[in-house]
Amino acid sequence: MLIDIRNLFKIYNEGKESEVRALDGVNLSIDRGEFVAIIGASGSGKSTLMNILGCLDIPTYGDYWLDGTDITDRTDRELANLRNREIGFIFQGYNLIPALTAYENVELPLIYQGISGSRREERIMEALEKVGMADRWKHKPAEMSGGQQQRVAIARAIATHPPIIMADEPTGALDSKTGKHVLEILHDLNEDGSTIILITHDNGIAATAKRIVRISDGRIVADGTKEEVGL
Amino acid sequence: MNLTQAIKMASKSIFSNKGRSALTMLGIIIGLAAVIILVSYAKGQNMAMNAYYDSMGTNIINVQAYSWGNSGSRDVGKEVYNYCLQLDGVAGISPNGYIYSSPTIKYESKTLSRNRGGMSGMSVASAGMDGPGAGTNEYPEIRLGNEMFGVCFGYSIAKGREFSYLEIENLSQVCVLGSATAEYLFGFVDPIDKVISINGLPFRVVGVYQSKGGVDLGKSEETQWMEESIKRMDRLVVLPSTMTRYFNDNQSIEDYVVKAKSSSDIKEITTALNSFLPTIIDPNSGGFYAGSDESWKQESNEANALQQRFLGGVAAISLLVGGIGIMNIMLVTVTERTREIGIRKAIGAERKSIIIQFLIEAAMICGIGGIFGIIVGYLGTLIVGKLSFGTILLPGAEITLGAFVISVVLGIIFGMYPAIKASGLQPVVALRAD
Repeated sequence: MLIDIRNLFKIYNEGKESEVRALDGVNLSIDRGEFVAIIGASGSGKSTLMNILGCLDIPTYGDYWLDGTDITDRTDRELANLRNREIGFIFQGYNLIPALTAYENVELPLIYQGISGSRREERIMEALEKVGMADRWKHKPAEMSGGQQQRVAIARAIATHPPIIMADEPTGALDSKTGKHVLEILHDLNEDGSTIILITHDNGIAATAKRIVRISDGRIVADGTKEEVGL
Repeated sequence: MNLTQAIKMASKSIFSNKGRSALTMLGIIIGLAAVIILVSYAKGQNMAMNAYYDSMGTNIINVQAYSWGNSGSRDVGKEVYNYCLQLDGVAGISPNGYIYSSPTIKYESKTLSRNRGGMSGMSVASAGMDGPGAGTNEYPEIRLGNEMFGVCFGYSIAKGREFSYLEIENLSQVCVLGSATAEYLFGFVDPIDKVISINGLPFRVVGVYQSKGGVDLGKSEETQWMEESIKRMDRLVVLPSTMTRYFNDNQSIEDYVVKAKSSSDIKEITTALNSFLPTIIDPNSGGFYAGSDESWKQESNEANALQQRFLGGVAAISLLVGGIGIMNIMLVTVTERTREIGIRKAIGAERKSIIIQFLIEAAMICGIGGIFGIIVGYLGTLIVGKLSFGTILLPGAEITLGAFVISVVLGIIFGMYPAIKASGLQPVVALRAD
């Protein structure tokens, strides 16, 4: 099992009147090579779930095994290394660093991994080619369209060859055509062996996934194929 | 992430945000330049002051010895003269007398006179080509000295010679002129062996002193009075001290100037004189004093050191304000860049990497700003030196280095604080920042 969470809670302002249970006892297992879409209305807790799965946030209670290791008592440094090696992130707002070129943005995770200069160049161009952005390597984010920026962000996510790719509303800011293209890239990556976790509120996009998890009020209410979930 | 990478990353960040980096550097540049210029200015003022004191004659001991009543019984002046000359550290001794009666000085058609009575309305023909009143402005100081007058008061002979010992003793009617007075009376004519008249008495010119104006104090208002005062020193007529007989109702000269060979001799000579003078002067019928001008100079130097510290303090405050400015901009920057920090953490940057990156960034900004600050400070010092002192003034190395180190350290401290704060955030919190 690649991802295994047991009885996970994320509670804000615990014990106070304003207490919010963003995750309220979640159990979820994801296997290597799966393509999972997590769906739910806004405020349902799906983004909180992804942040915890991606080690960007820590749960209040519960257990989380990532690739066999318990991550709930990891140090900041170990979490940084986990994020670097195990997970590639794709965000709705692309989250590229505006001052850096496409090439330099893709380079960042490789630098943090400590990969040497010549091997870095190879990996960067390989990643950019995979998303069809090799000819734009010199461009800064402001000089690219939203779809192109998201493709660079995908290149950054896959440059370190992580086993897991987490995409939080990757098509949310894109028109349907470029959104479809981005989705195709994710499916290609899945076919190449990456585990894809896709968060969306768009049922059409979720329907392309092999497995769909529906979340509501911090709990998983449905889990299965699109037929089983009722899409 | 290694250091080379961190440096590359920091420089990328600095150069891709030129406006922000320049603003941050501005605080350092202004602070550092202010420190350098202010402290150098105070130093320059001190230099000008010392040059002024030096032009008045250095290593001088003023001696006063007088007795009333039976003045005829001993020649106090002679005894002081003889005593001093046998002391080791003494370079010279001269009586220090003045003629206050403002006698009229004439050479052919040129006249130097204090007599204003006729000057205001009617023109006085004798004023010559310089017109009425010119003689009044140029009127020299008439001083009484001996063969060591030049040595004692810091004049050197340009033409001719000093008095001789015998000319003093024999009441010879000779004189030595200051450069301005010689020029006024003689123009391009060689004054040596010409005879001028002072109050109708003929005096043969035996020597002319070099101008003291060579000391470069600059042309600003601050040093103008020094300049004026040095110019005044060139308006001079020196007569043998024995001429007191003809001009000062035969009053004996009570003041002497002793020139020490070096400043280290001053104390010894002063002590010797203070023990010698009581043996020749009866305290019941006279008095004495022996002391040095150096204490003046020292006082002035101390006052200047105080001023330097004060200006340095003002400048240090401006440096601190500059540092706080850096912190402000860094704080804004980090808020602005919290998202970037979030992204970096999300893709695997350790906290350490982020802190190192910001540290190097702050150090580079402060270092570059510091170098610019030094350049501006040097240029400013050169300009201030030229305008205020008319000389090439350069800041001291220790001030430059000290201010540089302080500004860089301040910049790093102020620049680091916000980065340390931001790097401790959960990535998800940092990512949410907008």
